[in-house]
Amino acid sequence: MHVDIYERFWMWGAGAIVAIFLGITAFAAISQGRVPPSHAETVDPRNVWTDPRFAERGVKTNPDGSVEVTMVALMFAFQPNEIRVPAGTPVTFRLTSADVLHGFQIIGTNANTMLVPGYVSQFTTEFDRPGQYLIVCNEYCGLSHQGMFATLIVEEGE
Amino acid sequence: MATSVAAHAPSSAATLASRIWSWITTTDHKRIGILYGATAFVFFLVGGFEALLMRLQLASPGSSLVSAEAYNQLFTMHGTTMVFLALMPLSAAFFNYIVPLQLGARDVAFPRLNAFSYWLFVLGGLFMNASFVVGAAPNAGWFGYANLTSTQFSPGLHVDFWVIGLQVVGAASVVAAINFIVTIINLRAPGMRLMRMPVFTWMVLVTQFIIVTAFPVITIALVFLLFDRFFGTNFYSVAAGGDVLLWQHLFWLFGHPEVYILILPAMGIISEVIPTFSRKPLFGYAIVVYSGLLIGILGWGVWAHHMFQVGLGPVADSVFAATTMLIAIPTGVKIFNWIATVWGGKVRLATAMLFALGFVAQFILGGLSGVMHSSPPADLQQTDTYFVVAHFHYVLVGGAIMGIFAGIYYWWPKMTGRLLSETIGKWHFWLFVIGTNLTFFPMHFVGLLGMPRRIYTYDPALGLDAMNLVSTIGALVSGISVLVFVYNVWWSRKRGERAGGDPWGGATLEWSVSSPPPPYNFSVIPEVVSRLPRWSVKGMREIPEVPAEPIHVPGGSYWPVVAAVGVVVAATGAILHSLWVVLGGAAVLAVSIYAWAFEPFEV
Repeated sequence: MHVDIYERFWMWGAGAIVAIFLGITAFAAISQGRVPPSHAETVDPRNVWTDPRFAERGVKTNPDGSVEVTMVALMFAFQPNEIRVPAGTPVTFRLTSADVLHGFQIIGTNANTMLVPGYVSQFTTEFDRPGQYLIVCNEYCGLSHQGMFATLIVEEGE
Repeated sequence: MATSVAAHAPSSAATLASRIWSWITTTDHKRIGILYGATAFVFFLVGGFEALLMRLQLASPGSSLVSAEAYNQLFTMHGTTMVFLALMPLSAAFFNYIVPLQLGARDVAFPRLNAFSYWLFVLGGLFMNASFVVGAAPNAGWFGYANLTSTQFSPGLHVDFWVIGLQVVGAASVVAAINFIVTIINLRAPGMRLMRMPVFTWMVLVTQFIIVTAFPVITIALVFLLFDRFFGTNFYSVAAGGDVLLWQHLFWLFGHPEVYILILPAMGIISEVIPTFSRKPLFGYAIVVYSGLLIGILGWGVWAHHMFQVGLGPVADSVFAATTMLIAIPTGVKIFNWIATVWGGKVRLATAMLFALGFVAQFILGGLSGVMHSSPPADLQQTDTYFVVAHFHYVLVGGAIMGIFAGIYYWWPKMTGRLLSETIGKWHFWLFVIGTNLTFFPMHFVGLLGMPRRIYTYDPALGLDAMNLVSTIGALVSGISVLVFVYNVWWSRKRGERAGGDPWGGATLEWSVSSPPPPYNFSVIPEVVSRLPRWSVKGMREIPEVPAEPIHVPGGSYWPVVAAVGVVVAATGAILHSLWVVLGGAAVLAVSIYAWAFEPFEV
């Protein structure tokens, strides 16, 4: 089939753009470990509050210096609603929902995940800039959705 | 019930009642097209009014113009109305009116089924909006994410209205889609091979295949929800072992093809408008058609990009990121083809052309932010923020609505016999472009600065007041532009210039008959020898104004209306939790289908 030189140019050009896009995504995912949160761990939403993994909520510092945050979302609050983590330290969030779908977005950072009842959402991130951050629920969850937020305070690390 | 030419001549004795009756029982694709357009435009105004109320509420932080409950109903019904009751049927108005004319056919394949689709759509839309009257409008979002929609978290009739209303409207779409697939495949004029069909008709064909395959998916999701709510099943109940993610997968498996159901007809419209006003055949016709097909097929493989934030895992995320990037290629190809069509053409900037060019410009913006979402890391910064609102409004308002306005200005003279005012049209265009850009452009920044979607008010400490106010002003300007259009319609009815058969010098068959066309469309079925019959060197034979002998056209029937009423009575029975009313509605439906089937063709 005869393909005009201009058409061939656009075809290869478009192909190259796609290859570059996919390459960057693959590079970021594989070599830099930048993958979206994914963690298939289930929890019975009826016993969230008594489940050993979520009975104690808040900030915990592991022996290796990494920090773990456990929170539960419910209509229309986060439990606990204020957390303090050190700057420049990897923080692992372990979150779930006690009732309906909720969102968990820390404004001004790349932390954003959906809290699905029945599943544990887990991701690790690092906060470089100390300060106060707003955590909002961005997944519509009912009447007082707009009033569902919490505060993250990133403190100067030692 | 057959009518001949003579019976269609306007009779001075025709009373208003019999005129209304003739519209209710009509099976003429042109009249049904006008009914679709008028009804959908009213729903468009309703959805726009809901949007304006939301924007006024968000104009300043901490406002209390509407309550949180009212706001939740407004955004749910705004989305549902615009997608199912405004955009889809506005496109359907063109499917009905234009497709048979472009094919050289005298009507659609199943005229009474066509009437049934229309009445099912209008009654289903009224049914859903009746929820406002009883104070129980749907309030769980147009996406209705489980398990907020369960009886535990959404008691009352709100979600019931939504789940049943959508099924009724969805059935109307599927019925119409089957009708148009058969029409396009079977009723083409002699010589009109598939690759000679106008691009608009091609895009309609692709759209109808997507409707036929996508709507059953949402129907299944809705039936599960219906069973959960009415009969206590546990499809979406986590505590009982169900999974809320099932809804998300089913909804977006329908929801993303739905996006292409909305945009492909608009792409088809501007693929007609741009060549006509550039006096050039569409650049790369075959590539544009194949791109449309490819969009229709690839559209099935991208749904999980709505769900990156769920955490599906790197493999799933990478696959859906890749397919989402791939779908940008056929879309980009089309954009280059439109630009190449304008390139070197004798461009005439009529209002229809302005809207078509506006489509290209605004759709590029919406498409670019769409490609941004295809990368999961970027998507995580944007999802569920106003950035996404900005993105899809650029696609659906700057894209689909612009395309539909282009179609209205282009085909209005064909439908009514009179031209719309170009001066008022240009006011409409510029106000609309300025208004929509003022509304939606700041939303990109508002979103990146962290304003989540679906919040009825926000804190002044977020520092988003100014940009939200700009959006509200833009929404008001867009609203005014729509009023300017309404004035243009009124002006055209009163003072519009007579159009004649072919005011624009179009290339396709609909321009070879008078405006508005006679009930039988073509006195002689044209023979098609080229892709652009009216522009081809060989030319096409003139179609005589008056047929040699009377032409049989199908007469009216009221059974489609009765059948649609039966469906909506059954739906109302479900809302009332009354089995007898449901059975009554089903009986009406059964009887009318029987009567419809055995209705004599000739009376």
